[in-house]
Amino acid sequence: MNKQMYDLCKWVLDTASKAGAKDLRVSLGKSRLVEIQYRDKKPEIIKQATTVQMGIDLFVAGRYSSQNTCDLRKDALKDFISDAVSTTKLIAEDPFRTLPDPKYYKGRADIDLKIADASIDDLSAEQKHTIVKAAENAAWSAGGDKVVTIEAGFNDQFDESVTLTSNGFSGYSSATNFSVAVSVSVSDSENRKPVAYDYAEGHFHKKLGNPETIGANAARKAIAKLGAKKIETATLPVIIENENVHRIMKGLFEALDGRNIYRKQSFLADKKGQKIGSDKLVLVDDPLIPEGLGSRPYDSDGFAAKKRSIIEAGVLKDFYIDWYYSRKLGLEPTSGSTGNMIVPAGSRSVEEIMKDLGKGILVTDFLGGNSNPTTGDFSVGIFGQYFEGGKIVHPVSEMNIADNHLKFWHKLAECANDPWLYSDWRTPSMVFGDVVVSGV
Amino acid sequence: MNRIDRRTFLKAGAAAGGAIIAAPVLFDGWLTFAGIEKTGYFEKEFGITDALCKKVLGKALSKGGDFADLYFEHTISNSLGLEDKKVDRASTSVNLGVGIRTVKGEQVGFGFTQELNEKSMMAAAAIAATIADGSATPVAGKFVNAKISDYYPLTGTKPAPLTPRLSLVESTAGKCFARSNYIIKTIARFGDARKRIMIVTSDGVKAEDLLPGSALSAMVTVEKDGRKEQFWFSRGGRRDFSYYTDDIAKEVAEGVVDGAVALLDAVDVPAGEIPVVFAPGSPGVLLHEAVGHGFEADFNRKKTSIYSTMMGQKVAEPMVTVVDDGTWPNSRGSINFDDEGTPSQKTAIVEKGILKSYLHDIISAKYYGLSSTGNGRRENYQNYPIPRMRNTYILPGPNKPQEIIESVKKGIYIQDVSNGQVNIGQGDFAFYVSQGRLIEDGKLGATIKDVNIMGNGPKLLQDITMVADDLELGCSGVSTCGKEGQLVPIDAGMPTVLVRSLTVGGTKKQGA
Repeated sequence: MNKQMYDLCKWVLDTASKAGAKDLRVSLGKSRLVEIQYRDKKPEIIKQATTVQMGIDLFVAGRYSSQNTCDLRKDALKDFISDAVSTTKLIAEDPFRTLPDPKYYKGRADIDLKIADASIDDLSAEQKHTIVKAAENAAWSAGGDKVVTIEAGFNDQFDESVTLTSNGFSGYSSATNFSVAVSVSVSDSENRKPVAYDYAEGHFHKKLGNPETIGANAARKAIAKLGAKKIETATLPVIIENENVHRIMKGLFEALDGRNIYRKQSFLADKKGQKIGSDKLVLVDDPLIPEGLGSRPYDSDGFAAKKRSIIEAGVLKDFYIDWYYSRKLGLEPTSGSTGNMIVPAGSRSVEEIMKDLGKGILVTDFLGGNSNPTTGDFSVGIFGQYFEGGKIVHPVSEMNIADNHLKFWHKLAECANDPWLYSDWRTPSMVFGDVVVSGV
Repeated sequence: MNRIDRRTFLKAGAAAGGAIIAAPVLFDGWLTFAGIEKTGYFEKEFGITDALCKKVLGKALSKGGDFADLYFEHTISNSLGLEDKKVDRASTSVNLGVGIRTVKGEQVGFGFTQELNEKSMMAAAAIAATIADGSATPVAGKFVNAKISDYYPLTGTKPAPLTPRLSLVESTAGKCFARSNYIIKTIARFGDARKRIMIVTSDGVKAEDLLPGSALSAMVTVEKDGRKEQFWFSRGGRRDFSYYTDDIAKEVAEGVVDGAVALLDAVDVPAGEIPVVFAPGSPGVLLHEAVGHGFEADFNRKKTSIYSTMMGQKVAEPMVTVVDDGTWPNSRGSINFDDEGTPSQKTAIVEKGILKSYLHDIISAKYYGLSSTGNGRRENYQNYPIPRMRNTYILPGPNKPQEIIESVKKGIYIQDVSNGQVNIGQGDFAFYVSQGRLIEDGKLGATIKDVNIMGNGPKLLQDITMVADDLELGCSGVSTCGKEGQLVPIDAGMPTVLVRSLTVGGTKKQGA
């Protein structure tokens, strides 16, 4: 616990109480960040700063408001709080707005989530520059004369947060985050300049792996995009790569949100216990995985974090219902926050699956697109590789896939053995049969 | 309640040598800045004198560099929300800080602090200085306030209180429910932000502004025979509350309800390449994505844009002129000067079909030996400026809207666009159509929705074959562009335009 942060939060609780807000939640976050970016072997950006942010949820006379400020001078805060209490009294009553029942605060897992790297300060500025240079040099070596420009960067961040509520919640969390990223732009004879990137991200800097691998991967991915063209509109099997499959899954996920269910903007509102995808569709939310990028001890309501099964063998098992919408919907609250979103990996590699499928498209990136949570309709641009006989033939661009989530997930045929671990969405590559891919 | 008294008291305290507290003021429930004067705020409220700025800039240039700048910001944002006929949620956010940048060629050192005192600012300046490693660069002897035009003048010295704002949101929701029996849910929101900024540069420029921004929006869900659809509509810009009359509430209610009801009869969209007609207004997102981003000069000096070798070349037919305009009155993308202190301007990027100018910040302008076009923008003090668009649109052309629709045998007509994206290097772009119509034999047919449309920027410019005389901006008051993790307010627009062919990401094979 950071005593200084805790004391300020406690002071806010007392000050708000004196100003007429007996019920409130106060959260104080503090971040220290460093960003180093090189372009073409020269430092391009060096950025460093510390930020603070305070959030206050006020429940006054059956009314609610949320407040945010980074001006933490006590005199300014005192006025800010008393102004906020006055404003809150002027809006309409909402009988569903209360602090959560404290019973949901209980049962916090007594485990070390391993999300804070105690050695963050041991990493010198010089070492960070060395990592960036190594990643960039590897990209130049792998990219050769096709390269237009290369950007490589290192970021680290140390976050601390304290949350207190007037009804007994007290939480402290600290986490570190490190990332190395390389972006490579290459050019073909027609002056098209595809860009590709590769990155690694984690709570511990020693777990980021080899910076040279990241640089070389970025260059390899960029070169693989050269000469992209679109093919005729067709119905084909599609493999969506591990790193990006969450873009499509998020469309499904949006409809699980209690807020959208209450607002009648969820195509899944009446689908609990029903089949919404093939047997292969499994989604688990586990906020308690050591070193997980979505790991957290409690959620935004202060509920103790728990592992939950969201979709099992294609059957929808659970929603994301926070405290407020649980009261409005008359449902038991689950959680309004996500942890690590896990789709269990399969047993075969993408290469093996491609061989089996014969022809199809391996989707490596998306462009634009959106998803309608009320109807489940979605449409999104794709980039990737067209394959035939199990072998990559040429890259594709300016193509699109469109469907409805309630049909699309039934087409899920297989998950590959390559879970992506540099994200809170731990997804493997996923294979879908008979997708309309629009092109020429 | 009125808190003017507290302010008066605090000023007296400051004059007596006490701590200066620059508190926003609560006007009958609405937290905002007390005055609408543009200059003098940071000195008066935080004691940021020219002498202090000079000292901090000196620190930022203590190891050399071409120039340094300070960007002070104090922003107050408020929103009111409704999802059950009454406004039952309010939020306020205050952001305060200073960003300090040192520039050496194309290299940037950047630090920021949320504490506007000398010690914190000097520490942030010391971080910015690390980008250079030579001997100190001098700072200008005095700072001269930039003379600026005002493209979003504020009216009245006293802000409107909370009560009429609550009524506005509730009456908008009421108007929605009254307009259709199919409505099963209405959500309405009013958001308002005032941002005070002061830019001081080592070259002696000083620029101060107060930027307003506000929007009234509504979303409805409708249901008919078991089919549900949602639609969203909004109006706003750099406006104060006087803009939000009953007519605006009515316009929002009609826009959102009529849009949603039309979707109840929407049909499947064809997939593949077909002619596309763009309605005036919000489909201007097309230009923002397909053309605008590729013209941002950072992508060109880095040679990553597909347009980086096309300056001076013919890229479109002569009736096509594309501008990026920071001067459109009260538009969300308008700025009196950019976040580097360069006065705003209207910049032709494509003029009569010829590529004329990129969109520059100071770094890219120096790189090309030109003057900045006033496009150096940033989300807030926590970020350094980069070239960004303002209001991007095509100038009116010679055709009539009806004539354009009638010229298309089979195609689609795009009325509303929700979002878009571009891949700068290849020029491939996409935008998402939330509402449109089929065109059959020159007539507007069934409604279509939820379709992503893709194309290639340079090809799109060549494929614009007709431009009408009915230019409109989107005017939603919420259009926001994201680049390198920074969000900035923009707007985009266009007249009715015909594009020969684009890839429509539908679900139905053509002819099927």
